[in-house]
Amino acid sequence: MSQLNIQTITSVGIDIGTTTTQLVISRLTIENTASGTSVPRMEITAKEVIHRSKIYFTPLLDHELINSVAVANIVKTEYDAASLTPNDIDTGAVIITGETAKKDNAKSILEALAGLAGDFVVATAGANLESIYAGKGSGAAAFSSTRHQVIVNIDVGGGTSNFAVFHEGKAVDTACLNVGGHLIEFEPRSDKITYISKPAQKILTACGLTLSVNDHASMTQLRLITKTMAECVLELLNQNRLTPITQELLMTQSIRSPFSFHKVMISGGVADYVYTEIEPLSVEEVTCFGDLGPLLGWELGKKVVASGYSLEKPTETVRATVIGTGTQSVNLSGSTIHVSEQTLPLRNVIVLAPFATSENIPYQNISLPIIKAVQSLQEDGTNPYIALSIKGPQTMAFADIQALARGILEGMRDYLEEDKPLILILEDDCGKVLGQSIEALALGPIEVICIDQVVVDECDYIDIGKPLMGGRVVPVIMKTLVFNR
Amino acid sequence: MTAEGNGQLETLIIQSVLEELSKNGLFDSKNKQQVVNSAVQVINSAASVPITPLIPEDEETVTLPTDEIMVDNPFNLEAIRAMKKTTPARIGIGRAGARQKTVSWLRFLADHAVAKDAVFVDVSEDFLKRMNLVAVTSAAQDKEQFLTNPELGRRLSEEGVRIIKEKCSKNPQVQICVVDGLSSSAIEANIPDLLPALIQGLNSIGLKIGTPVFIKHGRVWVQDQVAKLVDAEVVISLIGERPGLGTAESLSAYMIYRPNENTVEADRTVISNIHKGGIPPAEAGAHLVDVLEQILKVKVSGVKLNQK
Repeated sequence: MSQLNIQTITSVGIDIGTTTTQLVISRLTIENTASGTSVPRMEITAKEVIHRSKIYFTPLLDHELINSVAVANIVKTEYDAASLTPNDIDTGAVIITGETAKKDNAKSILEALAGLAGDFVVATAGANLESIYAGKGSGAAAFSSTRHQVIVNIDVGGGTSNFAVFHEGKAVDTACLNVGGHLIEFEPRSDKITYISKPAQKILTACGLTLSVNDHASMTQLRLITKTMAECVLELLNQNRLTPITQELLMTQSIRSPFSFHKVMISGGVADYVYTEIEPLSVEEVTCFGDLGPLLGWELGKKVVASGYSLEKPTETVRATVIGTGTQSVNLSGSTIHVSEQTLPLRNVIVLAPFATSENIPYQNISLPIIKAVQSLQEDGTNPYIALSIKGPQTMAFADIQALARGILEGMRDYLEEDKPLILILEDDCGKVLGQSIEALALGPIEVICIDQVVVDECDYIDIGKPLMGGRVVPVIMKTLVFNR
Repeated sequence: MTAEGNGQLETLIIQSVLEELSKNGLFDSKNKQQVVNSAVQVINSAASVPITPLIPEDEETVTLPTDEIMVDNPFNLEAIRAMKKTTPARIGIGRAGARQKTVSWLRFLADHAVAKDAVFVDVSEDFLKRMNLVAVTSAAQDKEQFLTNPELGRRLSEEGVRIIKEKCSKNPQVQICVVDGLSSSAIEANIPDLLPALIQGLNSIGLKIGTPVFIKHGRVWVQDQVAKLVDAEVVISLIGERPGLGTAESLSAYMIYRPNENTVEADRTVISNIHKGGIPPAEAGAHLVDVLEQILKVKVSGVKLNQK
């Protein structure tokens, strides 16, 4: 058909972490992968990283506040290095991770990057999403799907350790622990402490150490601290009862993996010291970057293996999160139905699931739960864009699809009167016929976007970009994730 | 075999058996009449007892497991599970020695039987009435002719021509034909959900639809004759595919823009694999609307459409 069958887009991923700030630019190829005798299926078929930035120390104004102007300068410098201008960037994501995510930095960074990072770059945050991006960037997700083995990726950065359990390429659980290599800072290559973060203070107390800024730490003390940190990580991995210190450092729920596992992959800044043969022996070797990273990596690797796990090597270590963010944050909608270019992009669309997940809806009761769910969202006086997440009709029979279409139109009547597009997230393969039925049954013109459920699994906010491939798909970017909703 | 007279046939058989035996010295012929009489008596009393089947009636239907992993002690069960999800092929079924297990073999035979049935049964009258289709036949007079002489399935019977001229509206933009082809099961399984979705979609973009017809014993090319008879811009045939061992319910949609004497196979656009395990029929109906709209817009179909 006279339609574009291949297109490339350029995506930027920016990771602003506790310790480091990085950027990657990648080229994504979108293709119709279905044969000519089938319904077209647009997929991202290739992801090529075309530029990796240097690894910068995150510019901070103080220990809490990111220097967003300096971040913007980093981005400018790296675009120049890649010979690209902001106009060349189609999409992307900024992920603010680790300790920095706790602080109120996102807004100032987005403002500083406005106009710099292309038309459609979104800020994402949240420990769950960060864990998943890290595991996708490290190669753990791919390992689980090619080897058909469950694997846990632990991305140990400066401020946090992010866990993600992967089964057949899909994250099935995540967790985040406030353990990282940069929680205590030193004068580089010396034993003099220059900063102790709040979580580090808790760890020191748990070890029975009374170190403070300007104190000199011994190798024995550093070993005790990093061993305690590594034990906290192992407690989560073992899914046993947590000790009080681990509980205090836990930033999300603990791991409750639906699958047992014995493969572990470690990425992040300390990962290079997990997979090394050379043990850091002196305080000077440990604090070569002004933190505890090398020793934490060494102790962690030893403990993981000693606990009977098999340690797999990641394809990326310190860059795992930024590569995951740059290459994995953009997804395609699936069977988009009908939406005008002016309506897009849409930002901060709330994903609403009015029905119990994965249950097919008894079709006499479609509209009421939708009305209730929409009203509960609008209780605080806001009027956000909503994407309805629904498994599908009761059966794939035409009559049931019609009933679902009618129920949705009735349930969303007030919402649609404001000329907002109807956004549907469907698990069953019925996007085209449901969209067509809604258009046929609606009284006036209506805009409908259908998104495949796999694209936005377990996500509670999405952004939707401008149409691609001659209007046949729209890019969808996940913003935050919740498990066990 | 029914008993003739007072067991004359049985008597004859027994007598001849006894003669053979006495020839070989295995039977003393002086007791002959007595033995024959008692044997016939036994046979007659047995005949009055009803024959009981070996399998009790309520156990005649056996459901075979379809999607079971039957590999003994698999090294990586997760891997088999993931691979089985990607294909309906018979993988992960284990083996008994060098051969397949009994369940797999029975499943194979059952699927083969379903495939054969799909070819040999007819689409029911009741179904045609429910779908409100004008029914005609091809020039093939029965299944035998249809299967052995493909040419006959490619044109309408004389009566079929007359019925279409009489009952179908002229000059439609889209003429819909439902054709049994090689699987009547595919028609009954898919058309109830596909046809309403197709018609709804065509109506909503304001296309003029002809009177849908059903052609019994039809093949793909019969659509050319129908298109010419009603002078349709584009004709679409929803036709049962040759059944396979994976499914017997797969349907294809063949579309062609203004077929004429120069038409070749490459002029047809096809969407195949429509069934509940492939493209779901209702979803296919909605997609076909897009394809038909595209064909009408550029006024070509088949390979030329892909090149536009």
